[in-house]
Amino acid sequence: MADTSDIASALIAKLGSDAELLSLCPNGVYWDEAPPGSTRFVIVAFINAIDRGVFGRRAIEEGIYLVEARMLSTVQGANIKRAAARIDELLEDQPLTVAGYTWSTMHRLEPVRLTEVDEVDPSIRWNRRGGQYFIEMSHTDA
Amino acid sequence: MAIKTGRYGQVKWDAAGTTPVLLISLNAWTGDFKTEMEDVTCFGDVNRVYIPGMKDAKGTIGGFWNSEELAIIEASDDDVPLFLELTPNINEPLFTFEGLAYVSAELEVPVAGAPTISGTFAGAGPWTLPTGT
Repeated sequence: MADTSDIASALIAKLGSDAELLSLCPNGVYWDEAPPGSTRFVIVAFINAIDRGVFGRRAIEEGIYLVEARMLSTVQGANIKRAAARIDELLEDQPLTVAGYTWSTMHRLEPVRLTEVDEVDPSIRWNRRGGQYFIEMSHTDA
Repeated sequence: MAIKTGRYGQVKWDAAGTTPVLLISLNAWTGDFKTEMEDVTCFGDVNRVYIPGMKDAKGTIGGFWNSEELAIIEASDDDVPLFLELTPNINEPLFTFEGLAYVSAELEVPVAGAPTISGTFAGAGPWTLPTGT
């Protein structure tokens, strides 16, 4: 049985199992928010999604996922440029294996690069870099 | 009888016309069974007058390209008509439009989306339409 949550889980697992990405973002890969105290991590989040149907059933699930590295500007040696590039190497046109689905495509729609001023301490900056990735999976039984 | 969703529509086919099987990955069909009208307006008529001619039997089917379903492609490469059974909603299985038809196919492969297939059919014999009984 196809479960939409499994697509996100597979995406997080793919990123979280890469040694190079984890060396750049040692706090790990998280859905929506990282644990308190994290300074270098990857966030995966939903931006938008749509289902496409055939007669009698859902056939294709399309999702746009935000995938970005986030790094505190005060961390020595933080390399957000390389982290974003590694995310892209892992995802762009790469297959995603999810039970109940057949992979169709995974590719970036647009890059993301932001600098966020910390709400508590305005002298601190959060660097955010990655992209919006389009993932299309078709149901194996459709 | 009621107005029902097209989500549970269906298209079946069979080369022999005996046991139609489901065409998968489709999500649309149209049927055109309009009767042509011949204009027989005469001098003195206060409006145009028509007499019915032949009923048409043609339409379209459409959906996603699926490499496991090549029936439409194969049918378009063949000059032998096949049997089509079109159902607006499978929860009313007695209301079907069916008959022999020639089928042709068309593909569209956008770079940013799932490839789609569409086809046209044209009657190749008498078609049966649902009745209100």
